[in-house]
Amino acid sequence: MKPEITVVVSQGPSHDPTKRSREHEIADRLSGRGDLEVLVVPHLNDLRPDGDSLGALRQRTGHLIVFSWLYPRAAHWILDRHRISGQRGTTRLHLDTDGEPSDETSSDPQQEPVERVIDTRTVPTRAIYCIDLRACTSADAVLQEVEHILTETGMRASRSSMAASEGNGSRPWRSIADDIQRRWYPVIDFGRCTNCMECIDFCLFGVYGIDESDTILVEQPDNCRKGCPACSRVCPENAIIFPQHKSPAIAGASSSIDGLKVDLSQLFGKPEPDQHSRQVAQQERDQQLAASANQSSDSSSIAPPSQDAPGRDTSDDTSDGMNDDLDKLINALDQFDL
Amino acid sequence: MSDSLVFMMGQFEATFPTDRQYARNHMWARRQDSAYRFGFSAYAVRLLQDVYFLDWIVDPGTQLQQRQEIGSIESKKAEASLYAPIAGRLSAFNPELLDDPSAINVDTYGIGWLFEIRSPILDPPVGDETSGLMSARQYIAYLDQVWVVTQRTIKGQLA
Repeated sequence: MKPEITVVVSQGPSHDPTKRSREHEIADRLSGRGDLEVLVVPHLNDLRPDGDSLGALRQRTGHLIVFSWLYPRAAHWILDRHRISGQRGTTRLHLDTDGEPSDETSSDPQQEPVERVIDTRTVPTRAIYCIDLRACTSADAVLQEVEHILTETGMRASRSSMAASEGNGSRPWRSIADDIQRRWYPVIDFGRCTNCMECIDFCLFGVYGIDESDTILVEQPDNCRKGCPACSRVCPENAIIFPQHKSPAIAGASSSIDGLKVDLSQLFGKPEPDQHSRQVAQQERDQQLAASANQSSDSSSIAPPSQDAPGRDTSDDTSDGMNDDLDKLINALDQFDL
Repeated sequence: MSDSLVFMMGQFEATFPTDRQYARNHMWARRQDSAYRFGFSAYAVRLLQDVYFLDWIVDPGTQLQQRQEIGSIESKKAEASLYAPIAGRLSAFNPELLDDPSAINVDTYGIGWLFEIRSPILDPPVGDETSGLMSARQYIAYLDQVWVVTQRTIKGQLA
Protein backbone atom coordinates (compact mmCIF):
# COMPACT_ATOMS: atom_id res chain seq x y z
CA MET A 1 0.00 0.00 0.00
CA LYS A 2 1.26 3.46 -0.84
CA PRO A 3 2.15 5.35 2.32
CA GLU A 4 -0.03 8.34 2.85
CA ILE A 5 2.53 10.30 4.76
CA THR A 6 6.06 10.79 3.56
CA VAL A 7 8.77 12.30 5.67
CA VAL A 8 11.48 14.12 3.75
CA VAL A 9 14.78 14.97 5.39
CA SER A 10 16.64 17.47 3.23
CA GLN A 11 20.32 17.61 4.07
CA GLY A 12 22.17 20.87 4.45
CA PRO A 13 25.06 21.80 2.16
CA SER A 14 27.36 22.24 5.13
CA HIS A 15 29.87 19.72 6.44
CA ASP A 16 28.90 20.47 9.99
CA PRO A 17 28.97 17.06 11.73
CA THR A 18 26.34 18.12 14.25
CA LYS A 19 23.96 18.87 11.38
CA ARG A 20 24.64 15.57 9.67
CA SER A 21 24.05 13.64 12.87
CA ARG A 22 20.81 15.52 13.53
CA GLU A 23 19.58 14.65 10.03
CA HIS A 24 20.46 11.00 10.47
CA GLU A 25 19.03 10.73 13.94
CA ILE A 26 15.71 12.12 12.79
CA ALA A 27 15.65 9.82 9.76
CA ASP A 28 16.55 6.83 11.93
CA ARG A 29 14.02 7.54 14.63
CA LEU A 30 11.17 8.23 12.24
CA SER A 31 11.84 5.25 10.02
CA GLY A 32 12.11 3.17 13.19
CA ARG A 33 8.42 3.78 13.81
CA GLY A 34 7.63 1.53 10.89
CA ASP A 35 4.57 3.44 9.69
CA LEU A 36 6.26 6.23 7.76
CA GLU A 37 8.15 6.41 4.53
CA VAL A 38 11.33 8.39 5.07
CA LEU A 39 13.28 9.88 2.18
CA VAL A 40 16.60 11.64 2.61
CA VAL A 41 17.38 14.10 -0.19
CA PRO A 42 20.07 16.74 -0.78
CA HIS A 43 19.59 20.42 0.06
CA LEU A 44 16.13 21.46 -1.12
CA ASN A 45 17.40 24.75 -2.50
CA ASP A 46 19.89 23.07 -4.81
CA LEU A 47 17.71 20.31 -6.30
CA ARG A 48 17.35 20.34 -10.06
CA PRO A 49 13.80 20.39 -11.42
CA ASP A 50 14.47 17.25 -13.46
CA GLY A 51 16.42 15.45 -10.73
CA ASP A 52 15.47 12.21 -9.00
CA SER A 53 14.64 13.84 -5.67
CA LEU A 54 11.98 16.20 -6.97
CA GLY A 55 10.75 13.46 -9.28
CA ALA A 56 10.21 11.19 -6.29
CA LEU A 57 8.50 13.94 -4.32
CA ARG A 58 6.16 14.75 -7.19
CA GLN A 59 4.97 11.15 -7.13
CA ARG A 60 3.98 11.42 -3.47
CA THR A 61 0.44 12.72 -3.34
CA GLY A 62 -0.17 12.16 0.36
CA HIS A 63 0.77 14.46 3.20
CA LEU A 64 4.39 15.54 3.42
CA ILE A 65 6.51 16.38 6.43
CA VAL A 66 9.61 18.12 5.17
CA PHE A 67 12.64 18.78 7.34
CA SER A 68 15.22 21.18 5.91
CA TRP A 69 17.79 23.76 6.97
CA LEU A 70 15.57 26.46 5.58
CA TYR A 71 12.83 28.64 6.92
CA PRO A 72 9.51 26.83 6.51
CA ARG A 73 8.21 29.53 4.18
CA ALA A 74 11.23 29.13 1.94
CA ALA A 75 10.93 25.35 1.87
CA HIS A 76 7.19 25.48 1.17
CA TRP A 77 7.47 27.84 -1.76
CA ILE A 78 10.48 26.06 -3.25
CA LEU A 79 8.36 22.91 -3.34
CA ASP A 80 5.43 24.85 -4.74
CA ARG A 81 7.59 26.16 -7.58
CA HIS A 82 8.33 22.54 -8.45
CA ARG A 83 4.63 21.69 -8.56
CA ILE A 84 4.66 20.05 -5.16
CA SER A 85 1.82 21.94 -3.57
CA GLY A 86 -0.48 21.56 -0.65
CA GLN A 87 -1.96 23.31 2.35
CA ARG A 88 0.62 24.74 4.69
CA GLY A 89 0.65 22.73 7.86
CA THR A 90 1.33 24.54 11.09
CA THR A 91 4.05 23.07 13.20
CA ARG A 92 4.83 23.86 16.80
CA LEU A 93 8.50 23.30 16.10
CA HIS A 94 9.93 26.58 14.95
CA LEU A 95 12.76 28.85 15.93
CA ASP A 96 11.67 30.85 18.96
CA THR A 97 11.92 34.08 17.10
CA ASP A 98 10.39 32.85 13.84
CA GLY A 99 6.72 33.73 13.97
CA GLU A 100 3.79 31.40 13.46
CA PRO A 101 3.12 30.78 9.80
CA SER A 102 -0.56 31.43 10.27
CA ASP A 103 0.13 35.09 11.02
CA GLU A 104 1.62 35.80 7.71
CA THR A 105 -1.08 35.96 5.16
CA SER A 106 -3.56 37.79 7.29
CA SER A 107 -3.61 41.33 6.04
CA ASP A 108 -4.14 44.35 8.21
CA PRO A 109 -7.80 44.33 9.27
CA GLN A 110 -7.99 48.12 8.76
CA GLN A 111 -7.12 47.75 5.11
CA GLU A 112 -9.29 46.70 2.24
CA PRO A 113 -8.73 42.99 1.80
CA VAL A 114 -6.17 42.50 -0.92
CA GLU A 115 -6.38 39.58 -3.26
CA ARG A 116 -3.34 37.36 -3.07
CA VAL A 117 -2.31 35.06 -5.85
CA ILE A 118 -3.06 32.07 -3.65
CA ASP A 119 -6.72 33.15 -3.47
CA THR A 120 -7.01 32.59 -7.21
CA ARG A 121 -5.56 29.10 -7.15
CA THR A 122 -6.81 25.68 -6.34
CA VAL A 123 -4.39 24.13 -3.92
CA PRO A 124 -4.53 20.37 -3.28
CA THR A 125 -6.05 19.49 0.07
CA ARG A 126 -3.11 17.41 1.23
CA ALA A 127 -0.96 19.10 3.84
CA ILE A 128 2.72 19.96 3.64
CA TYR A 129 4.42 20.51 6.96
CA CYS A 130 7.78 22.22 6.56
CA ILE A 131 9.96 22.09 9.63
CA ASP A 132 13.17 24.01 10.17
CA LEU A 133 15.91 21.61 11.26
CA ARG A 134 17.48 24.45 13.23
CA ALA A 135 14.46 24.22 15.50
CA CYS A 136 14.80 20.45 15.93
CA THR A 137 17.15 20.45 18.87
CA SER A 138 15.85 17.19 20.29
CA ALA A 139 14.85 14.04 18.44
CA ASP A 140 12.23 13.33 21.08
CA ALA A 141 10.54 16.63 20.37
CA VAL A 142 10.59 15.81 16.67
CA LEU A 143 8.93 12.45 17.30
CA GLN A 144 6.31 14.09 19.45
CA GLU A 145 5.62 16.68 16.80
CA VAL A 146 5.28 14.05 14.10
CA GLU A 147 2.89 12.17 16.35
CA HIS A 148 0.90 15.39 16.73
CA ILE A 149 0.83 15.89 12.97
CA LEU A 150 -0.37 12.33 12.43
CA THR A 151 -3.20 12.96 14.85
CA GLU A 152 -4.03 16.29 13.25
CA THR A 153 -4.21 14.80 9.76
CA GLY A 154 -6.15 11.78 10.95
CA MET A 155 -3.30 9.61 9.77
CA ARG A 156 -2.34 8.26 13.09
CA ALA A 157 -1.37 4.64 12.90
CA SER A 158 -3.67 2.47 14.97
CA ARG A 159 -2.44 1.03 18.24
CA SER A 160 -2.43 -2.48 16.85
CA SER A 161 -0.40 -1.63 13.81
CA MET A 162 2.00 0.34 16.00
CA ALA A 163 2.39 -2.69 18.20
CA ALA A 164 2.85 -4.93 15.21
CA SER A 165 5.52 -2.67 13.89
CA GLU A 166 7.63 -2.91 16.99
CA GLY A 167 10.61 -5.15 16.68
CA ASN A 168 10.73 -6.14 13.05
CA GLY A 169 8.56 -3.50 11.45
CA SER A 170 10.98 -0.67 10.99
CA ARG A 171 11.59 0.42 7.42
CA PRO A 172 15.01 1.77 6.57
CA TRP A 173 15.01 5.27 5.19
CA ARG A 174 15.93 5.75 1.58
CA SER A 175 18.49 8.24 0.41
CA ILE A 176 18.20 9.83 -3.01
CA ALA A 177 21.53 11.08 -4.31
CA ASP A 178 21.08 13.80 -6.89
CA ASP A 179 23.93 15.40 -8.72
CA ILE A 180 23.55 18.90 -7.38
CA GLN A 181 25.33 22.22 -7.51
CA ARG A 182 24.80 25.31 -5.41
CA ARG A 183 21.94 27.41 -6.76
CA TRP A 184 20.83 30.96 -6.10
CA TYR A 185 17.37 32.17 -7.05
CA PRO A 186 14.21 33.76 -5.66
CA VAL A 187 10.98 32.01 -4.83
CA ILE A 188 7.66 33.77 -4.55
CA ASP A 189 5.40 33.38 -1.54
CA PHE A 190 2.03 33.38 -3.31
CA GLY A 191 0.35 33.71 0.04
CA ARG A 192 1.70 37.25 0.04
CA CYS A 193 2.16 38.10 -3.63
CA THR A 194 -0.49 40.36 -5.17
CA ASN A 195 0.77 40.01 -8.73
CA CYS A 196 1.75 43.70 -8.80
CA MET A 197 4.64 43.08 -11.22
CA GLU A 198 7.13 45.36 -9.45
CA CYS A 199 9.67 42.56 -9.52
CA ILE A 200 9.45 41.82 -13.22
CA ASP A 201 9.83 45.53 -13.94
CA PHE A 202 12.80 45.80 -11.64
CA CYS A 203 14.83 42.73 -12.50
CA LEU A 204 17.08 43.24 -15.49
CA PHE A 205 18.16 39.65 -15.84
CA GLY A 206 15.00 37.98 -17.11
CA VAL A 207 14.38 35.92 -14.01
CA TYR A 208 10.67 36.64 -13.87
CA GLY A 209 8.00 35.75 -16.36
CA ILE A 210 4.26 35.44 -16.62
CA ASP A 211 2.32 32.21 -16.82
CA GLU A 212 -0.68 31.42 -18.99
CA SER A 213 -3.03 32.97 -16.46
CA ASP A 214 -1.06 36.24 -16.38
CA THR A 215 0.45 35.50 -13.02
CA ILE A 216 4.02 36.30 -12.10
CA LEU A 217 6.41 33.39 -11.84
CA VAL A 218 10.11 32.74 -11.46
CA GLU A 219 10.64 31.59 -15.00
CA GLN A 220 14.44 31.45 -15.33
CA PRO A 221 15.75 31.02 -11.79
CA ASP A 222 19.29 30.38 -12.93
CA ASN A 223 19.45 33.74 -14.71
CA CYS A 224 19.55 35.28 -11.26
CA ARG A 225 22.79 36.95 -10.25
CA LYS A 226 24.43 35.08 -7.41
CA GLY A 227 24.20 37.02 -4.19
CA CYS A 228 21.83 39.65 -5.57
CA PRO A 229 18.63 39.87 -3.51
CA ALA A 230 17.63 43.25 -4.92
CA CYS A 231 14.14 42.39 -6.16
CA SER A 232 13.15 41.15 -2.71
CA ARG A 233 13.79 44.62 -1.35
CA VAL A 234 11.47 46.28 -3.86
CA CYS A 235 8.61 43.83 -3.36
CA PRO A 236 5.90 45.78 -1.51
CA GLU A 237 4.53 42.62 0.11
CA ASN A 238 7.86 41.05 1.10
CA ALA A 239 6.77 38.07 -0.94
CA ILE A 240 10.14 37.32 -2.54
CA ILE A 241 12.33 34.90 -0.68
CA PHE A 242 15.97 34.13 -1.40
CA PRO A 243 16.31 30.88 0.53
CA GLN A 244 20.09 31.16 0.70
CA HIS A 245 20.35 34.79 1.75
CA LYS A 246 22.00 35.43 5.09
CA SER A 247 19.44 37.96 6.26
CA PRO A 248 16.53 36.10 7.90
CA ALA A 249 13.95 38.55 6.57
CA ILE A 250 15.03 37.83 2.99
CA ALA A 251 15.60 34.11 3.55
CA GLY A 252 11.98 33.57 4.55
CA ALA A 253 11.78 34.10 8.31
CA SER A 254 8.31 35.17 9.35
CA SER A 255 9.88 37.84 11.47
CA SER A 256 13.48 38.78 11.85
CA ILE A 257 15.56 36.59 14.09
CA ASP A 258 19.03 36.61 15.48
CA GLY A 259 21.55 34.09 14.31
CA LEU A 260 22.33 31.22 16.60
CA LYS A 261 26.05 31.67 16.11
CA VAL A 262 28.25 34.70 16.51
CA ASP A 263 28.14 36.93 13.45
CA LEU A 264 31.66 37.92 12.52
CA SER A 265 30.70 39.72 9.30
CA GLN A 266 31.96 43.08 10.55
CA LEU A 267 35.31 41.53 11.24
CA PHE A 268 35.56 40.58 7.58
CA GLY A 269 34.57 43.99 6.29
CA LYS A 270 30.79 44.29 6.35
CA PRO A 271 29.77 47.85 5.46
CA GLU A 272 27.42 49.75 7.72
CA PRO A 273 23.74 49.60 6.81
CA ASP A 274 23.01 53.25 6.27
CA GLN A 275 20.84 53.32 3.20
CA HIS A 276 17.20 52.89 2.40
CA SER A 277 16.22 49.56 0.94
CA ARG A 278 15.26 50.90 -2.48
CA GLN A 279 18.67 52.50 -2.88
CA VAL A 280 20.35 49.37 -1.66
CA ALA A 281 18.33 47.32 -4.11
CA GLN A 282 19.23 49.53 -7.06
CA GLN A 283 22.86 49.46 -6.07
CA GLU A 284 22.88 45.70 -5.76
CA ARG A 285 21.19 45.25 -9.09
CA ASP A 286 23.41 47.76 -10.86
CA GLN A 287 26.53 46.20 -9.41
CA GLN A 288 25.39 42.95 -10.97
CA LEU A 289 24.69 44.71 -14.24
CA ALA A 290 28.12 46.29 -14.29
CA ALA A 291 29.64 42.93 -13.46
CA SER A 292 27.82 41.18 -16.29
CA ALA A 293 28.82 43.95 -18.70
CA ASN A 294 32.43 43.49 -17.67
CA GLN A 295 32.15 39.80 -18.21
CA SER A 296 30.40 39.80 -21.55
CA SER A 297 32.77 42.22 -23.24
CA ASP A 298 35.20 44.97 -22.50
CA SER A 299 33.06 47.58 -24.22
CA SER A 300 29.89 49.08 -22.87
CA SER A 301 27.32 46.91 -24.56
CA ILE A 302 24.82 47.36 -21.75
CA ALA A 303 23.42 50.73 -20.85
CA PRO A 304 25.00 52.28 -17.79
CA PRO A 305 23.12 51.89 -14.55
CA SER A 306 20.55 54.39 -13.49
CA GLN A 307 20.77 57.29 -11.09
CA ASP A 308 23.59 57.49 -8.66
CA ALA A 309 24.40 53.83 -8.86
CA PRO A 310 27.97 52.73 -8.43
CA GLY A 311 29.10 51.95 -11.95
CA ARG A 312 32.42 50.57 -12.90
CA ASP A 313 34.51 53.66 -12.26
CA THR A 314 33.72 54.06 -8.60
CA SER A 315 36.33 51.84 -7.09
CA ASP A 316 37.64 54.86 -5.21
CA ASP A 317 34.26 55.69 -3.73
CA THR A 318 34.21 52.70 -1.47
CA SER A 319 37.19 53.81 0.52
CA ASP A 320 36.32 57.48 0.32
CA GLY A 321 35.81 58.75 3.83
CA MET A 322 35.07 55.29 5.10
CA ASN A 323 36.00 54.61 8.66
CA ASP A 324 37.22 51.27 9.70
CA ASP A 325 34.44 48.96 10.82
CA LEU A 326 36.05 48.40 14.12
CA ASP A 327 36.29 52.13 14.72
CA LYS A 328 32.55 52.20 14.22
CA LEU A 329 32.17 49.28 16.53
CA ILE A 330 33.99 51.20 19.22
CA ASN A 331 31.59 54.09 18.80
CA ALA A 332 28.61 51.79 18.84
CA LEU A 333 29.84 49.85 21.82
CA ASP A 334 30.52 52.98 23.84
CA GLN A 335 26.86 53.91 23.54
CA PHE A 336 25.86 50.57 24.99
CA ASP A 337 27.84 51.05 28.17
CA LEU A 338 29.16 47.49 28.29
CA MET B 1 58.47 28.19 6.91
CA SER B 2 60.07 31.57 6.97
CA ASP B 3 60.00 33.88 9.96
CA SER B 4 56.79 34.79 11.60
CA LEU B 5 55.56 37.20 14.21
CA VAL B 6 53.28 36.25 17.08
CA PHE B 7 50.25 37.98 18.53
CA MET B 8 48.83 36.65 21.80
CA MET B 9 45.06 36.17 21.75
CA GLY B 10 44.70 35.40 25.42
CA GLN B 11 46.71 32.22 25.85
CA PHE B 12 46.66 31.48 22.13
CA GLU B 13 49.68 32.26 20.00
CA ALA B 14 48.52 33.50 16.61
CA THR B 15 51.42 33.47 14.16
CA PHE B 16 51.84 35.65 11.10
CA PRO B 17 54.49 34.78 8.51
CA THR B 18 56.49 37.79 7.44
CA ASP B 19 56.75 36.58 3.83
CA ARG B 20 53.39 38.12 2.96
CA GLN B 21 51.07 41.04 3.63
CA TYR B 22 47.79 41.39 5.50
CA ALA B 23 44.47 43.10 4.86
CA ARG B 24 42.39 44.85 7.49
CA ASN B 25 39.68 42.24 7.16
CA HIS B 26 42.04 39.65 8.59
CA MET B 27 43.21 37.96 5.43
CA TRP B 28 46.78 37.40 4.36
CA ALA B 29 47.83 38.40 0.84
CA ARG B 30 50.66 36.98 -1.18
CA ARG B 31 51.71 38.13 -4.61
CA GLN B 32 51.37 35.44 -7.32
CA ASP B 33 52.28 36.84 -10.74
CA SER B 34 49.72 39.54 -11.52
CA ALA B 35 47.34 38.63 -8.71
CA TYR B 36 47.22 38.51 -4.95
CA ARG B 37 46.34 35.22 -3.32
CA PHE B 38 44.31 35.60 -0.13
CA GLY B 39 43.59 33.40 2.86
CA PHE B 40 42.48 33.82 6.45
CA SER B 41 45.01 35.03 8.96
CA ALA B 42 45.58 32.94 12.08
CA TYR B 43 43.64 35.61 13.95
CA ALA B 44 40.51 35.00 11.84
CA VAL B 45 40.86 31.21 12.01
CA ARG B 46 41.19 31.31 15.78
CA LEU B 47 37.93 33.23 16.04
CA LEU B 48 36.14 30.99 13.55
CA GLN B 49 37.54 27.66 14.72
CA ASP B 50 36.49 24.62 12.66
CA VAL B 51 35.21 25.75 9.27
CA TYR B 52 32.25 23.72 8.03
CA PHE B 53 31.06 25.52 4.98
CA LEU B 54 32.20 28.11 2.53
CA ASP B 55 30.01 29.60 -0.16
CA TRP B 56 30.89 32.13 -2.86
CA ILE B 57 28.25 34.33 -4.43
CA VAL B 58 30.37 35.78 -7.22
CA ASP B 59 31.94 34.01 -10.17
CA PRO B 60 35.57 34.07 -11.21
CA GLY B 61 36.09 36.95 -13.61
CA THR B 62 33.95 39.34 -11.59
CA GLN B 63 35.28 42.86 -11.17
CA LEU B 64 35.11 43.51 -7.44
CA GLN B 65 34.95 46.71 -5.51
CA GLN B 66 36.76 46.76 -2.23
CA ARG B 67 34.45 45.42 0.49
CA GLN B 68 31.92 44.04 -1.94
CA GLU B 69 30.21 40.99 -0.49
CA ILE B 70 31.61 37.86 -2.10
CA GLY B 71 30.42 34.95 0.00
CA SER B 72 29.85 33.52 3.41
CA ILE B 73 31.36 31.13 5.86
CA GLU B 74 30.02 28.91 8.58
CA SER B 75 32.18 27.49 11.32
CA LYS B 76 31.78 25.81 14.65
CA LYS B 77 31.63 29.15 16.40
CA ALA B 78 30.46 31.69 13.89
CA GLU B 79 28.74 32.67 10.73
CA ALA B 80 29.91 35.56 8.63
CA SER B 81 29.61 37.17 5.27
CA LEU B 82 32.88 37.66 3.45
CA TYR B 83 33.99 40.78 1.62
CA ALA B 84 36.62 41.62 -0.95
CA PRO B 85 39.79 42.78 0.82
CA ILE B 86 40.87 44.87 -2.18
CA ALA B 87 39.41 45.97 -5.50
CA GLY B 88 40.26 44.00 -8.62
CA ARG B 89 39.18 41.17 -10.85
CA LEU B 90 38.55 37.94 -9.03
CA SER B 91 40.59 35.36 -10.91
CA ALA B 92 40.14 32.13 -8.96
CA PHE B 93 38.67 30.44 -5.93
CA ASN B 94 40.53 27.60 -4.29
CA PRO B 95 38.66 24.63 -5.79
CA GLU B 96 39.81 22.27 -3.04
CA LEU B 97 37.80 24.13 -0.42
CA LEU B 98 34.44 23.84 -2.14
CA ASP B 99 33.87 20.24 -1.16
CA ASP B 100 35.80 20.32 2.06
CA PRO B 101 36.85 23.59 3.65
CA SER B 102 38.81 21.97 6.46
CA ALA B 103 42.13 22.85 4.82
CA ILE B 104 41.55 26.34 6.23
CA ASN B 105 42.06 24.90 9.70
CA VAL B 106 44.83 22.52 8.70
CA ASP B 107 47.01 24.94 6.75
CA THR B 108 45.59 28.42 6.51
CA TYR B 109 48.80 29.92 5.11
CA GLY B 110 49.22 27.22 2.45
CA ILE B 111 46.67 24.87 0.91
CA GLY B 112 43.88 26.63 2.80
CA TRP B 113 44.09 29.72 0.59
CA LEU B 114 40.73 31.23 -0.40
CA PHE B 115 40.87 33.17 -3.66
CA GLU B 116 43.00 35.30 -5.96
CA ILE B 117 42.34 38.85 -7.09
CA ARG B 118 44.17 40.46 -10.00
CA SER B 119 45.38 43.86 -9.01
CA PRO B 120 48.36 46.12 -9.50
CA ILE B 121 50.86 46.00 -6.67
CA LEU B 122 49.41 47.90 -3.74
CA ASP B 123 51.49 50.22 -1.64
CA PRO B 124 51.49 49.73 2.10
CA PRO B 125 48.89 51.91 3.79
CA VAL B 126 49.83 55.34 4.98
CA GLY B 127 48.15 56.87 8.02
CA ASP B 128 44.57 55.64 8.24
CA GLU B 129 44.28 54.65 4.60
CA THR B 130 42.26 51.43 4.44
CA SER B 131 42.86 50.25 0.88
CA GLY B 132 46.45 49.11 1.21
CA LEU B 133 47.96 45.90 2.48
CA MET B 134 49.99 45.84 5.65
CA SER B 135 53.22 44.13 6.58
CA ALA B 136 53.04 41.51 9.32
CA ARG B 137 54.44 44.08 11.72
CA GLN B 138 51.83 46.69 10.77
CA TYR B 139 49.11 44.07 11.01
CA ILE B 140 50.10 43.12 14.54
CA ALA B 141 50.07 46.77 15.55
CA TYR B 142 46.57 46.91 14.07
CA LEU B 143 45.53 43.78 16.03
CA ASP B 144 46.79 45.47 19.18
CA GLN B 145 44.23 48.20 18.55
CA VAL B 146 41.29 45.97 17.70
CA TRP B 147 41.70 42.90 19.93
CA VAL B 148 39.95 44.33 22.97
CA VAL B 149 37.03 45.57 20.92
CA THR B 150 36.74 42.25 19.09
CA GLN B 151 36.50 40.39 22.37
CA ARG B 152 33.88 42.78 23.63
CA THR B 153 31.89 42.43 20.43
CA ILE B 154 31.88 38.67 20.62
CA LYS B 155 31.02 38.61 24.29
CA GLY B 156 28.31 41.18 23.65
CA GLN B 157 26.70 38.88 21.07
CA LEU B 158 26.93 35.88 23.30
CA ALA B 159 25.48 37.62 26.33
